[in-house]
Amino acid sequence: MLDTIMQTKLFAWVDRRTGAADIIKSQLTEYPVPKNLNYMWNFGSLALLVLVLQIVTGIFLAMYYKPSAALTYGGYTVAFDSVERIMRDVNFGWLIRYMHAVGASAFFVVVYMHIGRGLYYGSYKEPRELLWIIGVVILLIMQGSAFFGYLLPWGQMSFWGATVITELFGALPIIGEYLQQLLRGGFAVGDPTLNRFFSLHYLFPLLLAAIVGGHVHALHVVHSNNPEGIDVHSDDQKINFHPYYTIKDAFGVGVFLTIYCYVVFFNPQMAGYFIEVDNYVPANNLQTPAHIAPVWYLTPWYTILRSFESKLLGVIAMGGSLAILFVLPFLDRSKVRSGRYRPMFRLMVVMFFVDVIVLGYCGHSAPSETLKLVGQIATAYYFAFFLLLPFLPMVEKTKPEPEGI
Amino acid sequence: MTDQADQSRRNFLYIAAGGLGAVAAGAAAVPFIGSMFPAADTLAAAKTEFDVATVEEGQLVVIQWQGKPVFVSNRTPELLAQLDGHDDMLKDPNSEAIEEVSAEWMTAENRKYRSIKPEYFIAVASCTHLGCIPLYKPSAGRKEWGTAVPEDWPGGWHCPCHGSLYDLSARVINGSPAPHNLHLMPYKYTSDTKVVIG
Ligand code: FES
Repeated sequence: MLDTIMQTKLFAWVDRRTGAADIIKSQLTEYPVPKNLNYMWNFGSLALLVLVLQIVTGIFLAMYYKPSAALTYGGYTVAFDSVERIMRDVNFGWLIRYMHAVGASAFFVVVYMHIGRGLYYGSYKEPRELLWIIGVVILLIMQGSAFFGYLLPWGQMSFWGATVITELFGALPIIGEYLQQLLRGGFAVGDPTLNRFFSLHYLFPLLLAAIVGGHVHALHVVHSNNPEGIDVHSDDQKINFHPYYTIKDAFGVGVFLTIYCYVVFFNPQMAGYFIEVDNYVPANNLQTPAHIAPVWYLTPWYTILRSFESKLLGVIAMGGSLAILFVLPFLDRSKVRSGRYRPMFRLMVVMFFVDVIVLGYCGHSAPSETLKLVGQIATAYYFAFFLLLPFLPMVEKTKPEPEGI
Repeated sequence: MTDQADQSRRNFLYIAAGGLGAVAAGAAAVPFIGSMFPAADTLAAAKTEFDVATVEEGQLVVIQWQGKPVFVSNRTPELLAQLDGHDDMLKDPNSEAIEEVSAEWMTAENRKYRSIKPEYFIAVASCTHLGCIPLYKPSAGRKEWGTAVPEDWPGGWHCPCHGSLYDLSARVINGSPAPHNLHLMPYKYTSDTKVVIG
């Protein structure tokens, strides 16, 4: 297919003016990839797919959504009503909105799997440090974007979630108060906040698209890691990205879309995990819902925040838990990449995955004494995992790595 | 050419031009960042008038000021009596952490009331932890409130979000995640019962 296109006169005309043929060769048809990648390597391309889905559905939603907290005759607000109008009156509005809302959760599922794979197989290590760091930037922008987007329906959880998070910034010394006003555009979350969050919610994905470009570019310079975690040199251990991995990725896309469509059509709210029940109640600034929790993908960090008595410490710990990801490549001193050949690391990283799930569970549940303690222990392990890495090579006996793949 | 050029002069020019460019870029950012701060009309809506006589004895009302909720509670003599005897449970019994707003009228006697008139208590209704609105649980003890409050509950507010507790003058009780007492805001009485908040 691609070959026939590349032989046409039209393509030759384009090629002379853009160098398209060289790009296609170096990035696709002759781009070498280790031949042994497993299905964990599918999540990168899936993340790209979901990003595109989110941007496309978002553009269409923005044609009907109105970011205003002004009251309507019905006693609700313009923003809340416009979302309900999308759900009820706009042709296919329900579908596009559910695709967008489910897409947000799907995005995080896929990206967390992608990050987990990078952790387990040591994909963040030399020479891929910068690739990893760019990835962490992407994660932060995603979380920001999701947070901004969650305010837009202007339901109770939108409103109080935004109040709680902007309040966090107020905990910072000196600049805190200004930062908080800057985010809110007023003294409390209100109409100005809604407007700017809409603007930023539109901006961030554009940033994301650009930085994802950088991520892919950096990947194509240092090339993919592989499950064995060793450098592959000889040509017989590599295969071309196209058609081999395009096909494999396409298969992954098929599986993903099956699950995604099932959720969109049959279970878009995921029992309150994807769209919280309280968000069907219009925002009321005089009444706090009984239990405020962020959406599931932010709950691990919320637990870290709640684990500290002092608000400032909690904020610092939460910031630190994300910031520590940036220095991970420099904390881990072991020369062996893959968890397959690092028995202790393997145990620690699997425990780390469990730990993050525990953190997430604690953050999603109503606070209680036991859960608080569990959350604190989980928070301690979260940091211990990273801080032990530099010392691990002193005690860990790694298994011999294979010669080739 | 190159060997004749005075490199140190050239470097100076580079740095001077680059520095000026950076200053200009910084200056250009000012209006943009500035535009994100509260607008003039938001600031203008910064005062609220309220008649405290509309609050029944023992009742609490929530009004709005600057878009923020504000508590106005009418404390009966019994409720006022509940303010005594638990200073050791409080993080900041004399409200010394943030003095400025109440400095004008705060005297040694009304420190425990934290209000101009002891019976009318006015404070910002946002929990100083993360901004939820605490629930009013005025009666002492656990009888009405169950285990959400401690055994020796002096009556006050309980924040549903992460369990901060405040007494009837909204002074935060030890062990709460909230760092401060509920914030007071500047207000004054323009007549016997009319207050201007802000
Ligand atoms: S917001 Fe009140 S205890 Fe956290």
